[in-house]
Amino acid sequence: MKEKEGFVDYPEQQMIIYVEKEDGKYGPMQTGSYLSANYMDDYVYKRRNLELELRAQLTGGLISPVKYYMVFEDLSFSELAARAGISKSKVKKHLDPKHFGDATVDDLLKYAAVFNIPAANLLQIVLVNSHGNLESNIILENKGDKISIEQTPSGNPYAVLTKIEEKR
Amino acid sequence: MIIPNYKHKMAAHCESGTITALLNHGGLNITEPMVFGIASGIFFGYFHKMKSFAFPTFIVRNKPGQMRTNIEKRLGVRFKTYDFKDPVKGQQMLDQLLLQNIPTAAQVDFFYMDYVPSWERVHINVHFLVVAGKDANKYVISDAYFPGMVELDSTSLEKGRFAGGNMSPKGFIYNLDKIPAEIDYHKAIVKGIKKACFYMLKIPIPFLGIKGMHMFARKVVEWPKFARDNEHLSHEIMKINILLEDQGTGGAGFRFIYATFLQQAAGMIGKPELKQLSEELMKIGDGWREISLFSARIGKNRDLGPEKLKQLSDMIHDRADVEEQFFMSLSQAVK
Repeated sequence: MKEKEGFVDYPEQQMIIYVEKEDGKYGPMQTGSYLSANYMDDYVYKRRNLELELRAQLTGGLISPVKYYMVFEDLSFSELAARAGISKSKVKKHLDPKHFGDATVDDLLKYAAVFNIPAANLLQIVLVNSHGNLESNIILENKGDKISIEQTPSGNPYAVLTKIEEKR
Repeated sequence: MIIPNYKHKMAAHCESGTITALLNHGGLNITEPMVFGIASGIFFGYFHKMKSFAFPTFIVRNKPGQMRTNIEKRLGVRFKTYDFKDPVKGQQMLDQLLLQNIPTAAQVDFFYMDYVPSWERVHINVHFLVVAGKDANKYVISDAYFPGMVELDSTSLEKGRFAGGNMSPKGFIYNLDKIPAEIDYHKAIVKGIKKACFYMLKIPIPFLGIKGMHMFARKVVEWPKFARDNEHLSHEIMKINILLEDQGTGGAGFRFIYATFLQQAAGMIGKPELKQLSEELMKIGDGWREISLFSARIGKNRDLGPEKLKQLSDMIHDRADVEEQFFMSLSQAVK
């Protein structure tokens, strides 16, 4: 690929690609992601739809919170089991809302560590009104909005501090 | 505190970029494409059903970690490696190395690298970066995918280093130990090329190398049956573009960086036929890039019917055919 064909103006996601320079030598060139520059809106649209669909299933009692996050984070259940250090048979049960209640607090802490969320979020979905729509904070972090939600661990592993503030 | 004289540089790929950074810091003048080529980084593997993946996927580089071990064998350099069961010991050792001003590479799960925008972060346990300093509770990270050095909270680095699951890092870190006085680049380049040709042409496993590309081409038409719905299928088809272009490949699934290696190697070992082959591979890479753009386009348009997937499949079969010829010629060139 020629150098001039490789340039993409997208400072938010820079990368190195190897191209043919004007003197015929091949070498590195810093550029932006073509996919992100051209298709980010579609990605966000799909993520938002996926979250809405999973939330509907969750609140309708069809899936458990573990499944909600597992599907959203693109993890297979075997991978989730391996990452959390919980047996596959137990994870399989915890994906089903009928058996999610069997999970111990220790299990929830392990799942939360994998999903990088406070364990409290396995029992609640934090929603924020964004342009008239109630959106989950797992989506909102993808966009600049008026509200910031910050959840910070406390000295107690069972308590998280959730701060909801207006952005300045 | 940043390790004195450590220079951050972006690279196409995290593993070859990390190895290059450590070698450059140690005084060896070597390029990323040369590291990638000598380490036989170019590869192909298709995974239709693997428990650790939520959807069929493919890889375009050799096994994570293998670049480092191949570089050691072929250049005679030595890295000191460490892994840990105990995160506390893992952090103590990293801190000790940094106190001695030793830039240290770490294997992490990319998902916990919170300097990365959330839309880019995925669970992948084989991301490599260089830890180049520490200030209080923050590590200074030289990540080949970023234009400048970044800070990372020690808790996030620990989460990344000790993530569980497939290919879990187990706190793995390494640093440069020794660069030999003399390096036989001719031998290293030829060995690197021969091994790459073996993996692409002769490895007797149906989902690896050229055979793997054909399997990918055959199986991609079956992807709709694995998808939850059309949007999920669109997401997975567009990931073909990510895997070929955006996940640190240097463009066209590492074909452009390998072409650069061959061009540099031609001059270094006096084999003009490698230069000709580098030009051929650059063109082959352009074909892979067409696949990337095609995947993005049909994904975005939700134009994912059997005809379009068949077209995609044909494009992949075509790449497999031209790469088979290419690697046979490359194999002959270093015989």
